[in-house]
Amino acid sequence: MKLRSYSVAGVMLFAALAAFFLFPYNLAFLTRIFIMIILVLSLDLVLGYAGIATLGQAAMYGAGAYAAGLFAIHVWADPFAGLVVGAVAGAALAAVSGVVLMRTTGLTLIMLTIAVAQIGAEIANRMREITGGADGLRGIRPSKILGIWDFDFIGVTGYWYACAVAAFVFGLLSVIGRSPFGLSLRGVHESPERMEAIGVSVFQRRLIAYVMGGGIAGIAGALSAQITQLVSLETFSFTLSAEALIMLILGGTGRLYGAALGTVVFMTVHHLAAANDPFNWLFVIGGLVLTVVFALPSGLVALPTSLKRLSKGDRHARS
Amino acid sequence: MNLLLNIAVDGIAYGMILFMIAVGLSVTMGLMRVVNLAHGGFALMGGAIAHWLIEKGGLPFVGAAALAVLGTVAIAMPLERVIYRKIYGFGELQQVLATIGLTFLIIATIDFWLGSSLLGIPLPETLQRSVDLGFRQLTAHRMTVIVVGCLVILGLWALLERTRFGILLRAAVDNRDTASALGINTGHIYMATFALGAGLAALGGILGAELLPIDAYYPLRYMVLFLIVVAIGGLGSILGSFIAALAIGLVETAARYVLPDMATIITYTLVILFLATRPQGIMGRAS
Amino acid sequence: MKEFRMMTALAAVCTLGVTSAAADDIKVGVIAPFSGPFAQYGTQYQQAIEAYQALHGTTVGEHEISFIYKDVGGVNPDQSRALAQELLIRDRVDYLAGFTFTPNALAVGPVITQSETPTVIFNAATSAINKESPFYLRTSYTLPQVSIPAAQWAFEQGIRTVVTTVSDYGPGIDAEVSFKTAFEEQGGQVLDSIRMPLATTDFTPILQRVKDDAPDAVFTFLPGGPPTFSYTKTYNENGLRDAGIAFLGTAETEEVNLQGLGDMAIGLNTVYHYSPAHESEANRAFLTALTDLHPDAVANWASVGAYDGVHLIYEMVKATGSDGPAAIEAVSSLKWESPRGPLEMDPETRTVIQNVYIREVARDANSGLLQNVEKGVIATVGDLGWTQ
Repeated sequence: MKLRSYSVAGVMLFAALAAFFLFPYNLAFLTRIFIMIILVLSLDLVLGYAGIATLGQAAMYGAGAYAAGLFAIHVWADPFAGLVVGAVAGAALAAVSGVVLMRTTGLTLIMLTIAVAQIGAEIANRMREITGGADGLRGIRPSKILGIWDFDFIGVTGYWYACAVAAFVFGLLSVIGRSPFGLSLRGVHESPERMEAIGVSVFQRRLIAYVMGGGIAGIAGALSAQITQLVSLETFSFTLSAEALIMLILGGTGRLYGAALGTVVFMTVHHLAAANDPFNWLFVIGGLVLTVVFALPSGLVALPTSLKRLSKGDRHARS
Repeated sequence: MNLLLNIAVDGIAYGMILFMIAVGLSVTMGLMRVVNLAHGGFALMGGAIAHWLIEKGGLPFVGAAALAVLGTVAIAMPLERVIYRKIYGFGELQQVLATIGLTFLIIATIDFWLGSSLLGIPLPETLQRSVDLGFRQLTAHRMTVIVVGCLVILGLWALLERTRFGILLRAAVDNRDTASALGINTGHIYMATFALGAGLAALGGILGAELLPIDAYYPLRYMVLFLIVVAIGGLGSILGSFIAALAIGLVETAARYVLPDMATIITYTLVILFLATRPQGIMGRAS
Repeated sequence: MKEFRMMTALAAVCTLGVTSAAADDIKVGVIAPFSGPFAQYGTQYQQAIEAYQALHGTTVGEHEISFIYKDVGGVNPDQSRALAQELLIRDRVDYLAGFTFTPNALAVGPVITQSETPTVIFNAATSAINKESPFYLRTSYTLPQVSIPAAQWAFEQGIRTVVTTVSDYGPGIDAEVSFKTAFEEQGGQVLDSIRMPLATTDFTPILQRVKDDAPDAVFTFLPGGPPTFSYTKTYNENGLRDAGIAFLGTAETEEVNLQGLGDMAIGLNTVYHYSPAHESEANRAFLTALTDLHPDAVANWASVGAYDGVHLIYEMVKATGSDGPAAIEAVSSLKWESPRGPLEMDPETRTVIQNVYIREVARDANSGLLQNVEKGVIATVGDLGWTQ
């Protein structure tokens, strides 16, 4: 088990290195993939591990982006300090809203998460003097990373910076996932009644997971604010939450590399479809999504297993 | 006093439109328990077909609307067979993903067919006229929506509570295996109910087009709005959606009269407060 | 610039098979939405660019000019910036163009300043964008540029009281503030300023309030598409028109969705810088070229913004090839005859100085289609919002 997870991490780092040399002209796009991976990982913790159904993860992403942006403009432009501020902002919003939200489940919970994100967007829109409103928050100029590496034009620094942060989050989440807390989250997800019966507060566990997820989403938001040097209201958008959810389910929930895989596949398909025939790209993504739902209900991570079964002539390859 | 009357009239008229566009979702998602994010897609289909029949086919409004509803039902039935039948048993997230994927395909199809600009559904002269209520005017169109909304809620109540179909449906939804074992053809019942939901979605799309105009991205633009009505009303309750739609209509209208720039924040805050204190919605069964 | 050259050289070394562009090839990267609800903008740009090339050829002197289109989806500054980097580094474009939304335009500011790439904005209308980099040029308009003349014209028509209703976001508020200030300066009175949330679907309460205030006119700003439809519908049906409250807008009767508005749009007054119904040789040539290439094409402000933007790029290439700072300098006070009327670049704001027209929606006798008929030029102005 341990060996396998090390090899997965190794493969992913190798992929990051290979991508850097294979696509030196697409670093900006690859950097966006890293940021999105972090957001989808945060969703995996919340949804895949703790079973909290949400369509509003963008709320914490947006809060992190605006907090980090404002902090960089008015207080200190250090990138790592910005990430911390973004994480705190995301976690704080998750904590405040989570106290109410984590008491609910199902459709009600989904609606509440959507509503929180919408209110976030509306507040950012109305506080124009501070946030720039619909024009976006501009003037974010992060200083050198560790005082050494400046954010360069090609995006080399941005690439490795985002890659390092994504690797850190990935490592952090795999530790959390194996910790007693992580295991109790799975318990809360799979059989909340039993967990209550053995004296575990389901509400408390869910809230902690939601706050952690919020912090990680905040980091993703902060990272996007630093890389783009601009934050727009769209960081709160329903579309962003929904796309993150699609990427996660596409890859497979409850497994961290599933989140990474789903993000890479979705964004690459989008990038290629949008470059070749943007007008009809929805056909492609709609088809992809339906194919995964019906052919690979556990996500793309189940693909090797399914193929193996198919090659062995197992008639129940799909089950 | 005049303000209160205005709020009441406009709030009810708006609430009725909300009800009409959300009632189809109340059937598929509320009764059949499918997280049907493609609801707006069926409303879009209805609106787009009606637009095409009126603009290109020269049909009168009523005829075009009726044909569009039938056309949507005709498309929905095979879709139920091919896609929905398979996802009834899925988990919520898989249902979300499948119905979003379907929504994308519907949007892409309409975009390909009619483009992404506004698809107007011109009303007949009689419905455009304003009716004098004494203290103000209201359009004949909104009065029609109020009447149709009342007919729909009465019709659904009669269908679900007073007919054999309603009894069978409730049996099939509550316990599908037992119902099948008792010899009820649950497949047919599900298909009929789904067709009903899709037909109502199309009708709502056409009648609501005055406020929520039809264009290819309609399903994504208003998805949250439909979901809120059903969530507030409570899953499984048509009457709950009806009350919820009216309540949302009144609250939003009041906010727009009194504090227009705060209307969105007020509405969402109230939604949060309400759902936090009553997660099962107005008429939902407590879990 | 030096640093940028070095970086691109570095990137070039990293990959095999890079064909360095011939010196006389000029590439223009167009960043715009080609998918999603705003795909119409990208389509308009592309069609207008093709029309311009059909009329003026694809070469300027010894330079062959080509366009590379990139889809940004919607309001998405992250994507906009990433695309700009990709275009500059991989495709080695000499000019950037497009930009429908303000955040997307602002996001490329630091990039184009560093690479010294002239960037022509076809649409984004927030005045402050051009302050963020000396390499922005704008062939669209800014909101004060049309709102202030609207206020002055309204006062001249004998309108003394107005209620403003604008969508509650940046552009809407810019329009409201400019209109209100200018109208009150004239001596008019703004009875009420209503800001409508972007999510507003039912405009009845807002317009009922306007009706109760009984002003001479209602000034409005809405984002295009569905809200405009509901708003104008409600304006008619709630009897504001019958009560003699004049409608005063800007882009609300935009041509792509105008036919969808139907008869209720007839008689609406708007103040704007372009109507395809403009009577001129240049406009007819543009429209003919456009419909020859795309029989279904509808020209609107986005098309003419792109058309004039390409003209600007051609002039820059003609003057200096691909030297960014020199190119900006070369066209800083360029004058030309555009399909919308006479245009002139303002060296300070780098936004066009243009005619602003008062228009009224009417049905064309021949085609039976609705159009914005120009009733007259009400001002010739540059970006009036620059110093605010």
